Amino acid sequence: MADTYLQVIFWAFFALMAIAGIRVVTTRNVIHAALYLVATLLGAASMYVLLYAEFVAWVQVLVYVGAVVVLMLFGLMLTRAPIGSANFDNNQRLVGAVCAGLLFAVTSFIMVGAFEGQEIDFTGTEGTKVQSIGEAIFSIYVLPFEIVSVLLLAALVGAVVISRRDEGRVDS
Amino acid sequence: MNPLLAQSVTQPSVDWHALAPELVMAGTACLVLVADLFLPRNAKWIAMPLSAAGIIGTLAAVVSLINTETTTLAGTFEVDAFSLLFKGLFCVLGLIILAISFHYFRAGSYYQGEYYFLLLCSLFGGLVIASARDLISLFIALELISIPGIVMVALRKGDARANEGALKFFLFSVLSSAVMLYGMSLVYGVTGSTILSEIRTSIGSGDEPLVVLSVFFVVVGFAFKISAVPFHFWAPDTYEGAPSPVAAFLSTASKIGGFVGLLVLMFKAFPEVADTWAPVFAVLAALTMTVGNLIALRQQHVIRLLAYSGIAQSGYILVCLALINPGNPDANEQAFAAAVIYLAIYGIMDLGAFAAAVAFARRGGTYFISDYAGLWQRSPVLALLFGGFLISLAGAPPMAGLIAKLFVFAATIEAEVYWLAIVMGVNTVIAAWYYLALIKKMFFETPELDEPVEVPYLLSAAMGIAAALLVALLVYPPLLTNLADRSIF
Repeated sequence: MADTYLQVIFWAFFALMAIAGIRVVTTRNVIHAALYLVATLLGAASMYVLLYAEFVAWVQVLVYVGAVVVLMLFGLMLTRAPIGSANFDNNQRLVGAVCAGLLFAVTSFIMVGAFEGQEIDFTGTEGTKVQSIGEAIFSIYVLPFEIVSVLLLAALVGAVVISRRDEGRVDS
Repeated sequence: MNPLLAQSVTQPSVDWHALAPELVMAGTACLVLVADLFLPRNAKWIAMPLSAAGIIGTLAAVVSLINTETTTLAGTFEVDAFSLLFKGLFCVLGLIILAISFHYFRAGSYYQGEYYFLLLCSLFGGLVIASARDLISLFIALELISIPGIVMVALRKGDARANEGALKFFLFSVLSSAVMLYGMSLVYGVTGSTILSEIRTSIGSGDEPLVVLSVFFVVVGFAFKISAVPFHFWAPDTYEGAPSPVAAFLSTASKIGGFVGLLVLMFKAFPEVADTWAPVFAVLAALTMTVGNLIALRQQHVIRLLAYSGIAQSGYILVCLALINPGNPDANEQAFAAAVIYLAIYGIMDLGAFAAAVAFARRGGTYFISDYAGLWQRSPVLALLFGGFLISLAGAPPMAGLIAKLFVFAATIEAEVYWLAIVMGVNTVIAAWYYLALIKKMFFETPELDEPVEVPYLLSAAMGIAAALLVALLVYPPLLTNLADRSIF
């Protein structure tokens, strides 16, 4: 009973993700594309919930939906990019579609072949504990965690350098 | 007591001495950034000696670790002969790049403090990647090498070609990261671990399609980073648009960082499935050498010439990866040592050539090959040094390029992959053609201008040190070969 219930939810979100994903690349309006991306990312978050990974799901919502897409929208507005329906196509739709289709076919064929018939047993699990994620970050993965801070600092300084308007200096 | 605090987190043991080079480098980067705030506009150049002092401090920390073999932070960080050799190399390359950069950035009144900060961050990434032994640290270290690089390319904001170069670099870098990360996530899916040693034991056989696919994605991601053909399109445009010292950095330290990550990953995590990836590298190596050299033949711009020749040079290192065969451990060790030797020598000689090009172009000079006519009569020392670096890149004495090529050839013969040896031989001849054409221009043609090219002391010192290192390595190869032998995993 619970299984069919989960199946229905899975396929509903799957349909949402697939349609939104296709619209991200086919819509002609950049803002619309960003909003479709929100729907796709929310669908991914729901997949995490179905896998009992609530914390990861909420991080997905907070970081991707909350921060990344909003940042994209702000970026579009602040840089006065063409917001209306602009034509960004360069006549390579067919090549792109063929490449993407082939990649999808190969990866999904291999993935299905590799994990076919394997089922994860969720009975008795309460999902991933936030505590265990925290412990992993601050024990095994403390080095990447610290390096990311340097990386973010460099990216921040770089963003300021690039976006800053130079005063009265002309490059030759 | 709060029940939440009752369970204490098991802290990994931290060996601070093992982390000393990284700590000094990161500390210097932050110091440079803060010091830059307080420096008056005409004293911004002080960031350069500060950075140099920091790199020398890092080098001292590396030296103090010699003969240490240890892992720390739950096995994700390893200090061994391999990592120390490359940390030392990154420090030496960093010092030479600083010397190349100084006059360029001071004269251009670019963002000097920020530039040196970004350069140190990139070098920090290089230090980490030499020691990183899990997928996440490896990936983040690789990003730390390339992301500051993108900003450094974009520093000449008013220049359209700089913007184009930075944008291309950014897009290719992001795409390659995505592909690589997808491959790494599949590796994690197959093995259930991000630690390289655990991946090695649980990856299974190379017959599984998923293993092949994941390794393939990882290799393609790295191929973008090291600009191997057919993933090289960004490199020449980016190098040409970038400030020349940054092009020198991208062509040497940044590329070597990518190779170090590749070596670590292939030999620490995937050696058991070498029969799946060695043929991929064989194709990449043959394509990279041949296409790089053929396009280099037609270049009129020195930086583009060096970019394509650098692409071709990385083909020789890919050859070493193509030789790996699980059934022949002796040949594998030889191939690994050859890759290490080639990387070290390539880094120094390519940087020397870039330094010479920067020195020549400094005073209103240009980067076009035709302008080099008769350099011998104008500035004999510069012509000799530049000629030396070029001959070394071609693989002939009096500098160590010969050693690098010999070791790769020997490893190829030892592994009995004769067709790659033939491809390499043909390519060495093609490469000699365009290097010698430039040398002929410098030595046997009459100059249009008479006045000598002024070379600042710092640049002369940088070229002198590079040349001295290369000559020393040719005269006494064990300096490097002993280190390379000890660094075999």
